[in-house]
Amino acid sequence: MSLRSQLLKGVLEGCILAIIHQQPTYGYELSVKLQEFGLSDVSEGSIYPLLLRLQKEQLIQGTMQHSEVGPKRKYYHLTDEGKGALKQFIMQWESIKLPVDSILKKGGTLS
Amino acid sequence: MNAKDILKINNRLREKLTEENKKIYEDMLVYIRTNTNKSEQQTEEVLLELLEHFVAAQSEGKSAHDIFGDNIKQYCDEIIEEIPGEKKSVSLVFGAYLLINLLGIMSLTYGTLGFFFNNVFHMGSNDVEISLGSAIVNILIDLFLIYCFVKLILKWIKSSTFNEKVKKKWVEFLQIWIVCTLFIGIMVMINVFMPTFGLEMRIPVILFAGIGFILLIISWVLNKKYRITK
Repeated sequence: MSLRSQLLKGVLEGCILAIIHQQPTYGYELSVKLQEFGLSDVSEGSIYPLLLRLQKEQLIQGTMQHSEVGPKRKYYHLTDEGKGALKQFIMQWESIKLPVDSILKKGGTLS
Repeated sequence: MNAKDILKINNRLREKLTEENKKIYEDMLVYIRTNTNKSEQQTEEVLLELLEHFVAAQSEGKSAHDIFGDNIKQYCDEIIEEIPGEKKSVSLVFGAYLLINLLGIMSLTYGTLGFFFNNVFHMGSNDVEISLGSAIVNILIDLFLIYCFVKLILKWIKSSTFNEKVKKKWVEFLQIWIVCTLFIGIMVMINVFMPTFGLEMRIPVILFAGIGFILLIISWVLNKKYRITK
């Protein structure tokens, strides 16, 4: 896997953890929220392999629950380990966000 | 919620897809389901999620490629890779069920037919001579052959998905016919050419029917308790 897609996957995983942390979410709802935040470049289906991996790593847990309308859906919520992973992701993100931004501002304007 | 209940929801919800999308989804479904050793529960859960997503996206005018990317088969491979393996205990119960059920059917059929032929047509005898050693080896080889056969069939079903080129019906028929003939032929040959060894026993043929019946009851109870097939 290329470094670029690994970076994207890592960031996407962090975002998924953050959204699920706000409230229990099901797959389609999650993809809509990611799009609303502007991550429309990510193909919608790519969240499902990630959700499976996060479950395997026991960062999130899915349970089939009745939704307000319609049939039963699989809602995801964070486990304690998931909360820890989210905290770590936020810390790592904060530590590279500013440096990367300022590097790009100084040397990265291409036009 | 049990995998079998999720499967039923899936069957109903699938009808909401358009003809074209349904064909694509069913290819995905078969491709993902025909993997042995993957957790059935997790498989059915993710299949239902994909379907719900597809149905919702369809109503917004999106296509399968908008959701799953350009290469849907490759997307399915990514999904399969992330599905966890089946729990040892679940595989064990499933294997035991298959074994007991199969032996039950074989024993009941053999016993009933033997008894019937002997008492109605006076063919064969009421007792069967069995060499315990060769009988056990025979059964083990048969089980192995059936295992290979099932694996082969699953592989064949899996490879029939995502094909734009459809094979001719008669070619398909001929292929299946040859494989089945070979398979049955080998089973019969092994039975015929197996040297007799081990403890010799005379068993009344009706006893086979009785044992078969008991095995089938056990497998029925297992199925009820662990919801293996429904």
